[in-house]
Amino acid sequence: MSDVIQQDTPATTFRFNTRAALTHAVLIVGALIVLLPFYTMISLSLKAPHEIMQQTGGFMGSQQPFRDDFCVKLGNAVEDCLVNPIIYNYTTAFEKAPLLRYLLNGVIVTVSIFVIQVFVALPCAYALAKLRFWGREAVFALVLFCLLIPVHAIALPLYIMLAKLGLTNTYAALVIPWTISVFGIFLMRQFFMTVPDDLIDAARMDGMTEYGIIWRVMLPTAIPALMAFGIFSIVAHWNDYFWPRIVITGNRDLFTPPLGLREFKGDADGDNFGPMMATACIIVTPLIVCFLLAQRRFIEGITLSGMK
Amino acid sequence: MGSQRAHLWFIGPALILMVIILLIPIVIAMGLSLTDYSLGNQGAAFVGLENYERIFTRSTYEKMFVATFRYVFVVVPLTVGLGLGAALLIHSLGRIGDLYKTIYFLPVMAALIAMAIVWEFAFHPTIGVINSTLERGCGSFLEAWHWYAKGCARTFPLWLNDREYAIWTVSFIGVWQGFGFNMVLYLAGLTSIPAQLYDAAEMDGATRGWDRFRLVTWPLLGPTTVFVVTISFIRSFQVFDMVEAFYPQGGGPSKSVYVMMFAIYEKGIQQNLMGIGAAITVVFLGFVMVLTLIQRRLVERRTHYV
Repeated sequence: MSDVIQQDTPATTFRFNTRAALTHAVLIVGALIVLLPFYTMISLSLKAPHEIMQQTGGFMGSQQPFRDDFCVKLGNAVEDCLVNPIIYNYTTAFEKAPLLRYLLNGVIVTVSIFVIQVFVALPCAYALAKLRFWGREAVFALVLFCLLIPVHAIALPLYIMLAKLGLTNTYAALVIPWTISVFGIFLMRQFFMTVPDDLIDAARMDGMTEYGIIWRVMLPTAIPALMAFGIFSIVAHWNDYFWPRIVITGNRDLFTPPLGLREFKGDADGDNFGPMMATACIIVTPLIVCFLLAQRRFIEGITLSGMK
Repeated sequence: MGSQRAHLWFIGPALILMVIILLIPIVIAMGLSLTDYSLGNQGAAFVGLENYERIFTRSTYEKMFVATFRYVFVVVPLTVGLGLGAALLIHSLGRIGDLYKTIYFLPVMAALIAMAIVWEFAFHPTIGVINSTLERGCGSFLEAWHWYAKGCARTFPLWLNDREYAIWTVSFIGVWQGFGFNMVLYLAGLTSIPAQLYDAAEMDGATRGWDRFRLVTWPLLGPTTVFVVTISFIRSFQVFDMVEAFYPQGGGPSKSVYVMMFAIYEKGIQQNLMGIGAAITVVFLGFVMVLTLIQRRLVERRTHYV
């Protein structure tokens, strides 16, 4: 009886579907596991040390002011040393290490890498896709071969080369190995192949130079592909830990965000979990926010890359 | 510049950088792997294949291969399988599935070093959320499971600091981080399958979900799968961040998490033994290149009949 009623009620808006419910159940369990460390990270960045150690206070903690022992040690009165956990964690994150400087370094390095990659890869991709010249097949074969080489794997010889040039502990060391992106060349070449020749011929008739064609005809058509590549590149280098770890030794002024966080961990005792998690939140947030804002572009980009 | 020579200006910078940054280092690595070079030393002695001999005979390097292959052969199948599974489920939901897609992709965007530190805290034996949650299940039906009862009676594993569990725990984090990437690639593959093919299959009698998957979805995802598998191999071979964050010295309990990239870093950078580091580099490159070449072969073969 109840089944009949259920089918007669607005079934179009909501119909209980066992299969969909099961699907949702599985996906929700997955989502909980995926989100667990994010939850932990945010939660710990809000709580006081004793709440972290005793696992009390739920997600937010009680937000009762607690005594900052370090402040007391400096000879201040105990009443002056009561701090709110959130404020304590986030200010310590910025005070204990030059986190702003690290973030700035991260921006400088990722942006320089991407800009140089585009200036190197785009003309090459255009030539490989649209110009006829002797040796084109050989160059393209070389690109395909270089796609096999993960740059991280050849870190040692690159490090030796940079050390011999006296470039370790410089911005240049962080940027140089990534100036050439064979993936970028490959991706843009595949994209340029789809641009009609007529468009280029028309531009040539109008008296445009080849150089002008790249930046004023090809580039605008390639914006979606370029965005996809840009997202790849920026995500990879903002999050990269291995390469900065190798070429930046000790000079804190050049630390990128991952190095800064790692240093924090190195000297974190029990009391520092809160500020450390605050640092982690700050480092992770920019990309997550960008991703949430430009999500569709990102997915579109990956579809575009012709890797299907 | 005349358009006759324009290509030189276009190809030139990329070509030069490719040679200097990608090709010459490989040659240098090959050369150094035959020596006992250290940075700062004058010259180096030629030692022939001694470094390679060491890699394939010493127990330290045996542990390196064991750790690397354990990680890779756990992470690749699981990230590919979960990526495909998640993509199929999400795809079946239509637009509502987008929320899950967003969530599953978050770990790919987050800096692994940051998340590794959080996981380390979650796996902490006394104050971590994992063991405290497990303890809460003590006394319930879960104790019927021998492993669980043992954990309740004594203690639950130390996870990252237990020789038996460390590499699997690290692998778990690797899976957690990587499957969302594969999911997105599979979703792209799924949306490119024309709906008519399913209609046609249904007319031919493929009415069950499994038949439609076997006859339409899976074959058409072939090229995606080949790409996803290869990229998962390459990514997981390069695992480093977590290992260095968890075990700055020595590669974990009894070197059970001594993966290749960490070995390269330890030998070359920490200990300045460039010869042996270069030899590991060459072996590593060998693995990666062979894998990619296999992939290309498969892609070429598949395109004939798809």
